[in-house]
Amino acid sequence: MNDTKPLNILIVDDSATMRALLHRVIGLADLPIGRIYQAPNGLEALKILETCSVQAIFTDLNMPVMNGMELLREIAKRDSWKDLLRIIISTDGSKLRRDEARELNVDLYVEKPFRPEVVRDVLCQIASADAH
Amino acid sequence: MSSAKSPALTPTDLHDTLQAALIEVGENAYFVFVEACDAGAFATLAEQERDKAHGAVVTWLMASVRFSGAFSGSVEIVLPERLGRWLVSSLLGMTPDEELPEAQVFDGVGEFANMVCGAWLSRVGDQALFELKVPAVTRMAAEWNPVADGRGREEVMCRMVSLNDSPMRIRVRAQ
Repeated sequence: MNDTKPLNILIVDDSATMRALLHRVIGLADLPIGRIYQAPNGLEALKILETCSVQAIFTDLNMPVMNGMELLREIAKRDSWKDLLRIIISTDGSKLRRDEARELNVDLYVEKPFRPEVVRDVLCQIASADAH
Repeated sequence: MSSAKSPALTPTDLHDTLQAALIEVGENAYFVFVEACDAGAFATLAEQERDKAHGAVVTWLMASVRFSGAFSGSVEIVLPERLGRWLVSSLLGMTPDEELPEAQVFDGVGEFANMVCGAWLSRVGDQALFELKVPAVTRMAAEWNPVADGRGREEVMCRMVSLNDSPMRIRVRAQ
């Protein structure tokens, strides 16, 4: 795992508390993490993606300005972002929303509330897939 | 709201799902023990908050999340500010001596309400889509008394719980 390239991560959530929580949980994972960027909505997230190298995005769905699904639709349009790992973290666990996410090539769907080890396991899956 | 909700769900189902959502959020994300209580126990816990405040005024927060979709309404949570502060500290893994800015307390309490609302709606309408608005959190006036606070015409249901021996009330209102 030590020779794995550090992972740059983008956290998108309108709640500063949730962003802080995710930042803390990601930091606890025994993985080479590079930079952790944060955005309060989809539009700000797109600005970061335009200018920074990001390998994985954790996004909420219900957000003002641009919601998570709108963000994921924008990401799906761009060929240069096709390898970006997409993880939804949302209170909305409905089947319809999950189906919608699947159509947008979302890699993982995590429902809030989540236990910290769930996010750690998600990161381990990403790192493990990256190493192969 | 009652006429628009799934006909398969009885009022008991709705109460049970709200209780289950609260337990899931409280115990999984905030690591607190959630226990149902009746109006009398809620009043006692509210009274005990005064003792815990050691003579200071007990302040209460109200977090409200509006939702729309197969049916529309809001989930409204009332809790002592002291409990809200503790919940956010617990979520973020902070030590008791670390000071939380007021904005973070409000944001974290709003997120608590958001999670409860989302977890409840996922249980009530797994086959339906709902849009949740950004939570609104307000500090109630100093003289405000949660026990005397009336239910209002649009109340659909109300649960009172104890979180680690502190009071919390959850109301669902129709829009």
